[in-house]
Parts: sequence; C-alpha cells; structure tokens
Amino acid sequence: MTFLELVNFYIIPGLVLGSIYALGAVGITLVFAILRYAHLAQGDLATLGAFVALAVVTGLGIPPLAALPVAMIFTAAVAVGIDKVFYEHLRERPKIVTVMASLGIALMIRSVVQVIWGVDAESYVRGIVRPQTYFGLRIKDREIYTVLFMLFLVGGLMLFLARSKWGKAMRAMSDNPNLALLSGIDNRKVVMLTWIIAGGLCAASGVFLGINTEIKSMMGWNMLLPMFAAAILGGVGRVEGAVLGGLVVGVAEELSVLVLPSEYKAAMAFVILLFMLLVRPTGLLRGKVL
Amino acid sequence: MTPLLSMKNVRGGYGDADILHGVSIDVASDEIVVIVGPNGAGKSTAMKSVFGLLTLRGGSILFDGDEILNWAPNRIVQRGICYVPQVDNIFREMSIHENLEMGAFLKKGDLSAAYDRVYELFPDLKERRKTMAGSLSGGQRQMVAMGRALMLDPKLLLLDEPTAGLSPKYMEQIFQICRDVRATGVAILLVEQHAKQALAFADRGYVLAAGQNRHEGTGAELLADREVAEMFLGG
Repeated sequence: MTFLELVNFYIIPGLVLGSIYALGAVGITLVFAILRYAHLAQGDLATLGAFVALAVVTGLGIPPLAALPVAMIFTAAVAVGIDKVFYEHLRERPKIVTVMASLGIALMIRSVVQVIWGVDAESYVRGIVRPQTYFGLRIKDREIYTVLFMLFLVGGLMLFLARSKWGKAMRAMSDNPNLALLSGIDNRKVVMLTWIIAGGLCAASGVFLGINTEIKSMMGWNMLLPMFAAAILGGVGRVEGAVLGGLVVGVAEELSVLVLPSEYKAAMAFVILLFMLLVRPTGLLRGKVL
Repeated sequence: MTPLLSMKNVRGGYGDADILHGVSIDVASDEIVVIVGPNGAGKSTAMKSVFGLLTLRGGSILFDGDEILNWAPNRIVQRGICYVPQVDNIFREMSIHENLEMGAFLKKGDLSAAYDRVYELFPDLKERRKTMAGSLSGGQRQMVAMGRALMLDPKLLLLDEPTAGLSPKYMEQIFQICRDVRATGVAILLVEQHAKQALAFADRGYVLAAGQNRHEGTGAELLADREVAEMFLGG
C-alpha cells in the first residue's frame, strides 16, 4: 500500500469521523467540567438533531447545511428543557443519580425518534457522491466542509470562552464553583448556557454524521463511546483537548481496520478510553480527574 | 459611633447542630479585628456566619444599618462585604486579570477604576496580569484572592486565615497588605492561627472558645493577659 492510499482510505475518513466525534466530545467535556457528571444522552441528542435536520431538508427542500442552524437551535432548546424538567431536580443528589437519569433520557429521546421517524436508515441526499482528486488526494466536498465547520464552531466557542463575560463565567464555574458562587456568578445561567452549547454541538455532530453516512435511530448511541473516549483522551474540561481527542479516536478507528477485522472498529475507542484512564487519567492536555 | 458590623449573640451551625453558642463581635469602619482561639473554637464558623454561609438560629448581625442575618451570600456581597476563603480562593486556570474580572462580576459599567485600585495595592500583580493564577507562589495567590474580593469596593473584607501555610516573610507581607487595604477605607475582620503575631498586628481581637466569646480587647491587652497567654498562646 502506498502512502497516498493510506491517506486516502484511512487518514482522511478518520479525520472526518474524528471531526464528528469532536463536536459531541466538546459538549461532553463542557458538561463534565461545569455540571460534573457524565451525560449519557449526548449521543441520542445528536440523533435527534440529525432527524430534525432531515425533517427540515425534506419539508422545505433545502440542503442539509442550510438545515443545520435549525437543528442546532432546536436541539439546544431540547437540551435546556431536559435539564429544567429532569436534571435540575437532581442537582443536590449524588452525581451518579443524574448519570443514570441521563441514560433514561437517552432511551426516551431514541424512542421518540423511532416513533416519529421509524427505524429505517434515511439519508439527506440520494445518489452517490464521487470524490474529487486534489494532488492525488481523494476528498469529497462534504468531507471538507465537515472538518471546516467543526473548526469554525469550536473556534467560535473557544473565542467565546476566552473573551466574553459569560464565557469567562463558565470557565470560572468549571475552575472553582464555590468561589464562582461567592463572586455572585449566577449558576443557573451558566448551566443553561452549557446546555445550549452542548445541545447545539450535539446536533451538528449528528447532522454531519448523517451527511457523511446515513441517518438512523441508533447513530448517536453508537457514537457515545468514541465521544467519551475523545473527551477523556483530550483531558476533561479542555475544549481543544476534545477536538484533538476526537481526531485521534477517529483516525485510530479507521487505522484499526488494517490489523483487526472491521467489526472490531468500535472496540478501538474502548481500548483508547481504558488505556488513558489507566496511564494518564488527566488526558493529553491535563484536564480534571473525575 | 455605631460600629460598621455588629454581631450580637449569634447562634447557629452548618446543619442541625449549633457550633456557635452566642458570639458577639464588633468591627468599626476603620478597624482591623482578629478572631483567635484554639482549634475547633468556631473562629472560621463565626466569620462565615457574617457572610450568610450558615444556618443561624438566633442573635442579630447589623451591617451598616441593615439586619443581614440569614441573607444570601450574593445579596451580602452587593451590600458591601467580601469574603476570601482559606483554601481554593483563586481561579487557578484563569489569569490574574481574569480573576479580578470575576471578582467584579456583579459590577456594571467601567471596571478600570477598580482594576487601578487593586493594581496599585498589588504592583506585583500588575506586572504579571496575564499569568495563570495557579502558577503563582502562595503569597501571590493570597494577593490575587484579596484583589478579587476588593474589586467590588467592599466596606468590610473577611479573611479566613490569610497566612495559613505561608512563611514568616510572607506573613509579614500579608499583614502589611491588610494595613494598606485598611488605609483605603476598608475594614477587615480576619481569622488567624498565628495568634501572637496576629494580635500584635490587629487593632482589636476576640478570643473564642467552644463557640463562645471568651476574651476581647485590644491586641496589646490580650497579649498581656496571663489567662489568654496560657490558654491559647502557648505561654
């Protein structure tokens, strides 16, 4: 196998898959950092986002990228609503209660999706897309804009966290919650903001998975483990870490096909997760230990 | 003259059990007042009661004309009392400047006067304003913590063991900063383990034991008191 083949068949698809994981992993890492629990409904929120976009695409006849903002806003609203109706009441209880509740929420979201849209695989656009060739690299347009949109969304988020008053408040809450409260930072607003961001990014991750593969009710759930692996690999609470982690997990999954039967591709994320927890639980970029 | 802060016979604790069994402390508007006492005397608890971090079941806390007993901490902050906890009192992964900004979170409008005031008190911090607070030394962290609390222009600053774990050199530095802060018109109530040094530096002191007032007086009076010396200061 030549180097170009390696890049074309493994590295590029890995980076695209990794970008999709990264979007979900950023949400996971933010929820981890600010609310301090593992949110297991993250994958199914992505599924919901993908199907909402599908409804917009088929209903209005617009391309999936144009439907993306609608899906992001809708899913963000759903995430905020779920927090208000369910998680908020569990905030004073041990965190494991909320983790289990989020598993229940995951099943609920998936069931709602299955009731409305059924269990068959769907796609945004019919037909086969041929990749373009640039200097020997075979890339599809949708692969380029998946990576670019991920960088754009995460870049925007990082700018928000670094510069804006409420972005800094989110970092403060993640850094030292007691001191943040003593400083008069409104915890409820920070939590709401966290869900808006996590929900919106989830939807983006689902839509891009749908654009690059197909849309089905289990798509998000199947991404949950790799997204968690990415968040922990990068370091919990680190946005840039979640992106790095997502890309590493995506490429590792694609490369694993070289040595393992492809049915075991998903096990790669699990191996990375286990290895990081044993060897370096703070992640590559020194996140929190939970 | 009525004192800025006047606690009278305050009783309460963190849960159902009382830790404070009647504590009374006055702080005038230009005073540095220290609370000392043996471990478990309720020193920090007495101070936290001012800041609304306890469930209080009796007594009164008058601050600047308002009864603030059982107010929520964020309301107390806006009323003019700021609190520096003993540990975890900075945002480690934020720069010095961002720490100060978070301290002024409730303040609307231009913050430049508040920054200037704090940076004037702590010139060391101004030079390193972009440095992550977590990478600073113990004494500098304490400066960041106090600077954060001063951003809202409080009338009263509560310091919980500001010299804990610091070397004697830094202890003197922190005390000097307290004097400088007081000179800008802020009263200070602090809790101290290092009773001798603290009483020597403060205007007045209270000795607490078992959640109650035991002795009070000027620093010099308490240091001269044989009973206080034997009980709490190790002879």
